[in-house]
Amino acid sequence: MNPRPLTVVLIVPTGVGASIGGFAGDALPVARAIAQISDTLITHPNVLNGAQLYWPIPNALYVEGYALDKFAAGCWGLQPVHQNRIGLIMDCAIEPELQLRHLQAVDAARATLGLNITDCVLTDRPLQVELRISESGASWGTIGNPDSLLRAAEKLIKQARVEAIAVVARFPDDEGSLALENYRHGKGVDPLAGAEAVISHLIVRTFKIPCAHAPALSALPLDPYLSPRSAAEEIGYTFLPCVLAGLSKAPQFVTPTVGQASCLSQVLGGQDAHPTREKFYANRRDFESQDLWADRVDAVVIPATACGGSAILSLSGRSTVQIIAVGDNKTQMQTTPEKLGIKALQVNSYLEAIGVLVALRAGITPTSLGADISSLRCLSD
Amino acid sequence: MTTHFISAEVDLSDTAEQLHSAIEIELQKHGEPLRWAVTDVDVDRQKALVEGYVLVEASPVAA
Repeated sequence: MNPRPLTVVLIVPTGVGASIGGFAGDALPVARAIAQISDTLITHPNVLNGAQLYWPIPNALYVEGYALDKFAAGCWGLQPVHQNRIGLIMDCAIEPELQLRHLQAVDAARATLGLNITDCVLTDRPLQVELRISESGASWGTIGNPDSLLRAAEKLIKQARVEAIAVVARFPDDEGSLALENYRHGKGVDPLAGAEAVISHLIVRTFKIPCAHAPALSALPLDPYLSPRSAAEEIGYTFLPCVLAGLSKAPQFVTPTVGQASCLSQVLGGQDAHPTREKFYANRRDFESQDLWADRVDAVVIPATACGGSAILSLSGRSTVQIIAVGDNKTQMQTTPEKLGIKALQVNSYLEAIGVLVALRAGITPTSLGADISSLRCLSD
Repeated sequence: MTTHFISAEVDLSDTAEQLHSAIEIELQKHGEPLRWAVTDVDVDRQKALVEGYVLVEASPVAA
């Protein structure tokens, strides 16, 4: 009999100043390591995107953040693919020379990597991206013309029948700002990340297809003190290659059939006469096939101070999911598992987290590997 | 269509799943939740501090 495959979700929230993964795809080594001891790794563009750098991980699923939240909530499933047909949206605010740089990056991905990128659309209005930092210290931003973005996506989907969308928006250069200087030196919060998430979330929410974003920026002057964590974004003219590589094999999203509850929360919310989690998942067996749903998740690895996202709150309700909170990946957030009442295994480092996953895979209780083993509890009436 | 940044306080719930629902309900007062996170918890007041974006549909997508 085949053992249950080990499915691990790795999350490093975007734009919260994570000391590992808050820069230029610098959680990619963590993802590569975790993928080695998982059957399936589910993670998101912020973890895997290193601008010019990307590492194909055969058993990793590249899932945009909005879709990851929907997956964790049981609303959407993930359907692996061999290859997606990709379309490109470019912000018309990008200068002609910078547009050409991006089109050449696309051509390189087609010719050198064999990716299926077929069509490009220029937005009918400038997207007008603005950047902000919130009171908590997280980066966020707005786009002035979201409808223009969605019209471009609709054109690619209807006319070119693309299955995934890469977006390149013109971001403010922000040269000389303290936030950018800190970021280049491996400190602080990625000032672009929050606005990037809004762009991809809008498309994924509206069209339910994979999407990822790369900012278009002017090249920066050479900085001899550039942090290794930020360096991947300064070795070329665009951040687009990683996005194209990730989208080329990103899973498609599947939703329950008509008449079935679309989210676990709907069932637990009382729309079913006898709401049970087991019944919800049992009802879906007929359309699950090879698709991956939240009930397949065994473990989630998350920075210990960033447990307040939608995906973690959803998955923490599943008794079979082991949440592993990593202490030394510091963030600007203050939401530890204890504050939220989430049962989690706290570890110091990703190395320790990987040890926990090895133990889980082997069917060994992680605490039995320590020196102190607590006494057996005796339950009384 | 416009996107808006929202800060909110939500009462802590018995379970994380209930808190998830309470946050979505609170944000839906302002629009459709697009992305959110609890950024801190005021333990004394038993409040979750939430930051997020909502989407407000002003008109259908049209050129």
